[in-house]
Amino acid sequence: MKRLAPALWLLLAAALAYPAGPWADQYVLHVLVLVLVYMVLAMGLGVTPGFCGLLDLGFVGFYGIGAYTAGLLTLAYDLSFWVVAPLACVCGAFFGVLRGAPVLRLTGDYFAIVTFGFSELVVMVLTNEIWLTRGPLGLPGIAPVSLDFGWLSAFFRPGTPLCYEFSGEAPYFYLALAMAASVAAVLRRAKASRLGRAWLAIREDELAAASAGVDVGRCKTLAFAVSAGIGALAGAFLARWSQFLSPDMFKFWESFLVLCMVVLGGLGGIAGACAGAATLIGLGEALRALLPGLGIPVEARFLAYGLIMILIMRFRPGGLFAASARQPDCPAG
Amino acid sequence: MALTDVSFDAPRDGVMGLIGPNGAGKTTLFNCIAGLYKPTGGEILFRPGHRELSVGGFRPERMTALGVSRTFQNIRLFSSLSVLDNVRIGRHCRTKAGFFGAVLRTPGQRAEEKAITGDSLARLAFVGLEAAADQPASSLCYGDQRRLEIARALAADPKLLLLDEPAAGMNPRETGALTDLIQAIVDSGVSVILIEHDMKLVMKICRSLTVLDHGELIAQGAPREIRDNPRVIEAYLGRGMAHA
Amino acid sequence: MLVQQLVNGLTLGLLYALIAVGYTMVYGVIGLINFAHGEVFMLGAFLCVSALGIGLPLALACALSVGACAAIGIAIDAVAYRPLRAAPRLAALITAIGMSIFLQNLALVIWGSRPRPFVREALPAFFGQTAFELYAVRVNGLQVVICLVSLALMAGLHLFIRRTRAGAAMRALAQNRVCARLMGVSVNRVISLTFALGSGLGAAAGVLTAIQYNSLTPTMGYNAGVKAFAAAVLGGVGSVPGAMLGGVILGVAETLGAGYVSSTYRDGVAYAVLIAVIVLRPAGLLGQNGAAGRDKA
Repeated sequence: MKRLAPALWLLLAAALAYPAGPWADQYVLHVLVLVLVYMVLAMGLGVTPGFCGLLDLGFVGFYGIGAYTAGLLTLAYDLSFWVVAPLACVCGAFFGVLRGAPVLRLTGDYFAIVTFGFSELVVMVLTNEIWLTRGPLGLPGIAPVSLDFGWLSAFFRPGTPLCYEFSGEAPYFYLALAMAASVAAVLRRAKASRLGRAWLAIREDELAAASAGVDVGRCKTLAFAVSAGIGALAGAFLARWSQFLSPDMFKFWESFLVLCMVVLGGLGGIAGACAGAATLIGLGEALRALLPGLGIPVEARFLAYGLIMILIMRFRPGGLFAASARQPDCPAG
Repeated sequence: MALTDVSFDAPRDGVMGLIGPNGAGKTTLFNCIAGLYKPTGGEILFRPGHRELSVGGFRPERMTALGVSRTFQNIRLFSSLSVLDNVRIGRHCRTKAGFFGAVLRTPGQRAEEKAITGDSLARLAFVGLEAAADQPASSLCYGDQRRLEIARALAADPKLLLLDEPAAGMNPRETGALTDLIQAIVDSGVSVILIEHDMKLVMKICRSLTVLDHGELIAQGAPREIRDNPRVIEAYLGRGMAHA
Repeated sequence: MLVQQLVNGLTLGLLYALIAVGYTMVYGVIGLINFAHGEVFMLGAFLCVSALGIGLPLALACALSVGACAAIGIAIDAVAYRPLRAAPRLAALITAIGMSIFLQNLALVIWGSRPRPFVREALPAFFGQTAFELYAVRVNGLQVVICLVSLALMAGLHLFIRRTRAGAAMRALAQNRVCARLMGVSVNRVISLTFALGSGLGAAAGVLTAIQYNSLTPTMGYNAGVKAFAAAVLGGVGSVPGAMLGGVILGVAETLGAGYVSSTYRDGVAYAVLIAVIVLRPAGLLGQNGAAGRDKA
């Protein structure tokens, strides 16, 4: 890894410089922002299966809750992104706890199916509660992100408007980058802490964890809250970036795609989740360009994602980027 | 396995042996004490401090927090985590930093992490595994995995330690080292209840014995008395001693 | 009106039940939700229509489709699940999801995303006609056929599991895999048989559903799969009579809910039932294993 570091730094510098230059292409930037959003989603989803060993099939529900919370608050009260994003986070975390509470004792298949049902219910509510969400018509006209430094002007010339409204993809790119970096830092720190060790212990052996003194229910609830909060944060970003929301954006496919990224990158890995997101969005864009030429509907790219999941679980359960092909075998009891 | 009418007092210090033929309900009894099973009747009393608590049906993490730690008959380590992390997890209930502490790296949290690592290394040194701290737990040999499980249990600062067949599958040399380890644990002021089939170990280390058969208590007393108790010999030791 | 709803619900419920037994049998034997089961149901419908498309008679097309889906079921197990028997459950679950998505999109590539009608000409005329009418409750021939076929198939399945050697081996495997193996049960063969039976029944349900609704889409297995799974859970996962009971209850509840409460949340009934049962009574109505869905530690 040490020898790779300069190359990585160079790559990072290039990525940082790219949007600022005149050569920046809006499509490429758009895809880059998309990659960053999915990185955040993949890191957030990764908490539940990666740290706690529970399969979450309804993660997109929190993405949707965050997005609609941010979108509706923006439309109704014209709040700034910097207020809306934390509120969306808290709202997502609240629903994460709410969903988690009744299923704390469940594991495996039943947990998976309840999470799945939850996200379907979210989409159903978004579609049918027209008085709140406008239903399938969606929410258009959500204000873009803006930076308001008006309060600063008090120090030199009161009344000067110092407001920068985001336009084009470049500022969103930097914002998304900052968001992804902070989420990665938060998760890295959490994982290396007392709480993170407790999560891993639950993943390894829930009963032994409880016997070793880990309050399993509390730790799982925290994991649900963190995971859901991150999903909602990505949703809040999406709302202000795309400036349009509709229930279709939060269907099961999204959950599946994000799960596939996590699996590809290796469960429990933060860098892996990001690599998985970049790979699959890249692959998705390539297929989107290629498939119509072959006379195949674009949706069929999920064929590839399904295949990837089966193959990864079969041959590289530690993820595509893991050092070893197989996880260390359990000791024979 | 059901337990009926099992009533006994565990001594406040020293080792109490819990013996009986296979299927006598020994591990079931442990599971009741440690909170894995909820007893349908009866009472389990535990006096961690001055006050006596009725702890029947408490959840496992609560029992551990109260001061009852255990090991498992079929070792249950967090096998893909490091040896040190296994023990650190044992410190969980004695520490308290939460999510925000970890994310903000507050001074309190950093000090606590340092203390956790120090305490855990001390427990590893106590069982003789400090050299293996950074290895994955699954890489340890069988005897060391048992010792690691004991270190993890000790990390929670128990007042009572439940050891479920710690010598199972050990060779005589390892069993000897284990005997010394249990003695050292007792000397540090922890009471131990020991389930064990190795009678040599039991006779050597236990101050008192409790014998179960078919979920019932059939004898209780000093090792010597138990050895001569006709009911025990009939149920269990008779055949056991003939082989030994 | 109410009785009419009940009849419609019963028909729908029997279809759910027919799919649900596939989930239940597989769960009983290998302890895994076969998420791809809904896709087998969908493939059953499409294969039948394709067979009719090349001019085969209805009975032969149905038989071919059921047989092909039984083979697909065995293949799914052999390719995806068998290599992961010893792996953590999370791995098998993820593979199951991957398999479901893969099959669904395979169908999308082969048959396209536009809804297809069933081949009307191949159907006997009495399907669409009113079979009998009682106090304004109209039951058409197709509904009678659906009820009879589903009941016959499930009765046959029940007898097979209870009365034959292979059925006994299945039950043994559901109880204790290690022990069954020691007793001389060929574990993988029994699992294959279970997949074949479950998938065959799922395909039959797919054909009947396609005739009933006259519309086939690659995503049709998704909703039907979830509802059938809810039915299986409601009845008690692992119990075949439970799957039937669960299917009928769910079908009736859904029809009544759509008719009397809110048609927009029609699909929500299944999720609500599912979550409520899992949380309140994980063993289901007829399930025996109180620990179903919990860690078998």
